[in-house]
Amino acid sequence: MNTTVITDEEKQKAFKSLRKPETIEKQKLDVRYHIEDFDVSERPRRFLEAFAAILKHSNYKMALDHFIRMSAKCSRCATTCQVYQATGDLKDIPCYRSELLLSVYRRHFTIGGLIKGRLLGSGYLTDDKIQEMADSFWNCTACKRCSLECPSGIDHALITHLGRYILSEIGIAPRALVVSTREQLEGATKNTSAIPVPALKDTLEFLEDDMFEEKSVRIKFPIDVEDTEYVFFPAVSDFLMEAESLMGIAAVFTATGDSWTTGTGYFDGINYGLFYSDRMLERVVKKVDEETKRLRGKNILIGECGHASRSAKYFIPTYCGGKDAPLVINIMEYTYMVWKEGKLKFNPNIVTEKVAYHDPCNIARQRWIIDKPRELLKAFCKNYVEMTPSGENNICCGGGGGTVSIDELRTYRTTVGGKLKADQIRKSGCEILVAPCANCKKQLRELVEDQGIACEVVGLHDLIYKAIIFDDSLIEKEEAKSESLPKEN
Amino acid sequence: MESWLEFAKGPLFRLTFAIMLLGLIRIFMLDIWGIYKAYRKAGDKNMPWKLVLSRGLEWFFPVNRVARNRPFYSTFSTLFHIGLLVVPIFLYAHVKQWEKSIGISWITLPFDWAYWLTISTIVFAIALLMGRMFNKSSSFLSRKQDYLWPILLLIPFITGFVCAHLNVNPTYYQFFMLMHVLSGNLIFILIPFTKIAHCVLMPLSQVVCTIAWKFPPETDEAVCSTLNKKGAAV
Repeated sequence: MNTTVITDEEKQKAFKSLRKPETIEKQKLDVRYHIEDFDVSERPRRFLEAFAAILKHSNYKMALDHFIRMSAKCSRCATTCQVYQATGDLKDIPCYRSELLLSVYRRHFTIGGLIKGRLLGSGYLTDDKIQEMADSFWNCTACKRCSLECPSGIDHALITHLGRYILSEIGIAPRALVVSTREQLEGATKNTSAIPVPALKDTLEFLEDDMFEEKSVRIKFPIDVEDTEYVFFPAVSDFLMEAESLMGIAAVFTATGDSWTTGTGYFDGINYGLFYSDRMLERVVKKVDEETKRLRGKNILIGECGHASRSAKYFIPTYCGGKDAPLVINIMEYTYMVWKEGKLKFNPNIVTEKVAYHDPCNIARQRWIIDKPRELLKAFCKNYVEMTPSGENNICCGGGGGTVSIDELRTYRTTVGGKLKADQIRKSGCEILVAPCANCKKQLRELVEDQGIACEVVGLHDLIYKAIIFDDSLIEKEEAKSESLPKEN
Repeated sequence: MESWLEFAKGPLFRLTFAIMLLGLIRIFMLDIWGIYKAYRKAGDKNMPWKLVLSRGLEWFFPVNRVARNRPFYSTFSTLFHIGLLVVPIFLYAHVKQWEKSIGISWITLPFDWAYWLTISTIVFAIALLMGRMFNKSSSFLSRKQDYLWPILLLIPFITGFVCAHLNVNPTYYQFFMLMHVLSGNLIFILIPFTKIAHCVLMPLSQVVCTIAWKFPPETDEAVCSTLNKKGAAV
């Protein structure tokens, strides 16, 4: 897809730092995201210590050795990186970004590098290099599209992921992610949006009443039910911002009659660890597993969220028992399965607007779920259009890699990160854009707003809620309904 | 010069070829050992082999990939690689040398094919070098070896072409042949220690990338312990 570089004026706006000069001076770090105060002394030494500790206890060394032996520097990744395509800044080429960390590895962790460094007395890691990494690694949306394009098979996203992890160990990580994760792991509410359990219950009760009024069906959000087939973990922000997605999911379960529950011990699918620290990733994943075990649930069901789905699907087996870990499925897989089994019926004419589907990177890049949501949409959308490229080659919404949760990066996300996506949405002419991911939805809504695109962004289950046809046996008669509705004064 | 040529074609060739072979075996085995260790450490041992294989094969038969981005550069690169592998391995004169030396031979390229493949490889190598020099992103990323390799690879192809297809007098012939053999020997030595190692490592790339995302369990505690962060707040 061809695109044009943004103007200098747009670039200035996108890269403008909202941080106070005195904070930058105090933290000795000029980046555009807020950071909690941290120890600024001997950063290079502490960076190398953290790097060494991580290498010792991980599988990254094998990959770094492989990458430094065969990197061809062909620059093919530049042709697909949406950040580089928008900025035109050569330092945004994924291979250059990877080299920032690979050069540190080569110099400090390989025999050749150590000898060369000693002989020439050069190449030591400096504060400037750390500054460049801290900036560059958070310019990336971690969409992994460049990795598909590398003939040598270098996974630039893995290197960025590792770079962010090392930086976080010396205190350099976006405050928005750290604070949310702290609340999730150590806070009173145990979730990233700090929703107390009574508020959660109130919200769900309110939604149940709302759905009953609309559909005349008693659609429930079961809470703390034990021995269910599925324990449900949505992106917790859905309880605040994506009520229709949740209503669609509850409606599907009501239609099928399968057992599911949300646990009050822990109910957040979000895992920012995936974006900045493997240690946090592990801790959050274990919380999901613990809650599933507490409720004696059979399977883990993740809501409409790309990174939550990826972190659970790929890391529950890693940290929670390998083959014996509970099965993780995404809600789209479940809905597709029950629809194929004939348990769901849709009104085929309900959505007449031009609809397109956006593939969340964390779901499609590994060819996990691509066709299923499209088939579902085509069952009730009369005017479905495809955006190109799509599926595993999809273009990122521009807010991936955790950047969507960093509010101070909004202008960057909607001007640089999401530029290519905005062009694609415009070209498709869609009126409704379906994005089954909490992160993508937030970013895409901000993107269409900032870029002036007339398009509504919704979740897949928002439309399913509209299209679903309940069995007559579930629909309550008007008289019964008016009796059971809460009386207003 | 004749004795130099004999030395270059004989003992020196055997030495450099052995260095290349052993060097490539070494890095290949190091990669395999790394993969094995990582796999053993991984908490999740389920490998998506179908995806790994299909992504790997995409780059061995890169028809789809080539057409999608930088089509000219990518096509030149693919054709260059074909010539680079096929000509040295299947050239009649090379196969005869092997037969004379170790008694084994294999199919050879017809004369016309060898002629055109050599020319195309030279042309594509020059085109790739130009691409690297004049493409903004390529030249920005390039190291010295990225410019030197196409030049070095051109030498045996050009000198070989001169010896095989142009009528030059015997002195010049011997000079060109010596350059041909020496440059070939130099290439053999450098292969395992430079980016050309991708000739044996590339098939492992997708496996490496997949296993690298398969983290070992309980790393949180281990890293915390090494960094003295046990009990520290998030």
